[in-house]
Amino acid sequence: MLKVENLFLQKGDFSLKKLSFAVEKNSYFVILGKTGSGKTMLLESLAGINQINGKIFFGEEDITHLPPEKRGFGFVYQDFVLFPNLTVKENIVFASRYKQILDVDTLFADIINFLQIEHILERKTTHLSGGEKQRVAMARAIYSRPKLLLLDEPLSAVDPTFRNAIMKSLKEIVKRYDTTIIHVTHNFREASYLADNIAVMMDGSILEQGEANSILNHPKSIEVAQFLGFKNIFPSSLIHQKAEAEVFSIDPSAILFSHTSSASEYCFKCTIEDIMGISDHYKVFARVKEHLFFAKVPKHMFEKLDLKEGIKCFLCIKKKDIVFI
Amino acid sequence: MIRDKGFLIIFIFLGAVISLFLLVPLVQLFLNVGPFRLLETLQDKEVYESIFLTLKSSFYAVLFVALTGIPLAYLIARYDFWGKSFLESLLDVPVMVPHTAAGIALLVTFQNGEIGDFFKSIGLEFMDTTTGIMAAMMFLSAPFLINGAKEGFRKVDVKYEHMARTLGASRMSTFFSIVLPNARNDILNGALMMWSRGLGEFGAVVIIAYHPMVAPVLIYDRFTNFGLQYSAPVAASMILVSVSVFLAIRFVNNKFS
Repeated sequence: MLKVENLFLQKGDFSLKKLSFAVEKNSYFVILGKTGSGKTMLLESLAGINQINGKIFFGEEDITHLPPEKRGFGFVYQDFVLFPNLTVKENIVFASRYKQILDVDTLFADIINFLQIEHILERKTTHLSGGEKQRVAMARAIYSRPKLLLLDEPLSAVDPTFRNAIMKSLKEIVKRYDTTIIHVTHNFREASYLADNIAVMMDGSILEQGEANSILNHPKSIEVAQFLGFKNIFPSSLIHQKAEAEVFSIDPSAILFSHTSSASEYCFKCTIEDIMGISDHYKVFARVKEHLFFAKVPKHMFEKLDLKEGIKCFLCIKKKDIVFI
Repeated sequence: MIRDKGFLIIFIFLGAVISLFLLVPLVQLFLNVGPFRLLETLQDKEVYESIFLTLKSSFYAVLFVALTGIPLAYLIARYDFWGKSFLESLLDVPVMVPHTAAGIALLVTFQNGEIGDFFKSIGLEFMDTTTGIMAAMMFLSAPFLINGAKEGFRKVDVKYEHMARTLGASRMSTFFSIVLPNARNDILNGALMMWSRGLGEFGAVVIIAYHPMVAPVLIYDRFTNFGLQYSAPVAASMILVSVSVFLAIRFVNNKFS
């Protein structure tokens, strides 16, 4: 439905580097990237706020040079950008001043019920909490009946206690209001809950894109794996595996320590270098040759093994826990 | 807190000195004139017509600058362009120029030469006319409104404009429905400053248009011809009217903001 081809935009010494991707109708597409990777700049380009090089198609139509008001895309900024001169209700219905919206009354009633904002409709936007502002910004965007909803870190300014409830609402919006969402975030947990498809962005480039489960569990590059929180990334030669890939990763919780070697698993002689006690587990740093492994060992296991800094033992990993990158 | 006492006493004393300096002459003027002579003066045709002319000319000057200066202020606030700093400095020049010099400059520009002839051909004369008074007020006080509007626009995050446009508003609609209302207080403050600065304009006005007499010229005229006794009630009347209008506008703005 949305197709972006070679989108290029230079601002100062930062640029979006010929990005290409496609978003399917009624899907939830997450662009995942660190702060400063160009996510907001990309969303603004899709909304028509930035003049870009390259092409943007929506359906069959080339919308590259359409102004924002002609694109029909909704936008929710990280800081919500509610108009301070208008009340909550006036903010929500702002779009009806400029475009014909079908079944406005039913839609309005449904939105305020869905987002539970009936009690704040007459308030000034300056008197709202972060969560309320977020819901009002969502309501305003949905009310404009967007063909595509662009969300710029919509959960970052929301109290963590409300985040799960709002994520649930976000997921429901696609079906309930027959729209498509592009959501940018730096939080991969948010992405893993919401996304059908993911694009991972770094320094103005898209490094990987595809189905969410595949990207999150089987990243194809070390940079993406590191960004997604993969630990213990080492060369495949270490496990004498005919390399499916150059490197592999192992989850710190999947590392086992033993005083004897096991033939059924990969076991390496190691030296315990550092131990940090956390409430219910220990962080253990163990050196195998020149590689330093990081493991999380449950408290009871740690005590049973009697691990101490400086001792030599075996560090074992199971084949099934290895992720090749 | 005890250590603060000396600090506070010094600051309160210094603040009181300047406050009294600003307040006492005004109070003294009203005490000197008294309520009866003040009322009597306000009923003097020459006085009330002069005050009305002053209020009106300054108001029209504000309207003209609002129409032309607000778009300029928006462009300065939103865009970076070649010569922007120079333009901003240029806009502040009138504040520094001696007012009589400004009057002379206006006279040279609009009374003689091609520009003067052009305006005469479309029926606009500046010498001894309300248009001339307006031009003098405008020349010297426009920076107050333009700078106020510029600050106001700078405070309105450009993302509000982006947001309004994604919701269907055109550039122009966005300006009127979002940008202008959110910069309103600064613009209104600028307009009030410009208007009140215009009310007190004497140096430039007296050169370009001695007649019809605006209040500052009338006060000067009465002072030089008849002395303090006759000029003080006019001065008090002018201050009373302009302060009343000023406070009324502030009250209305606060009530509806």
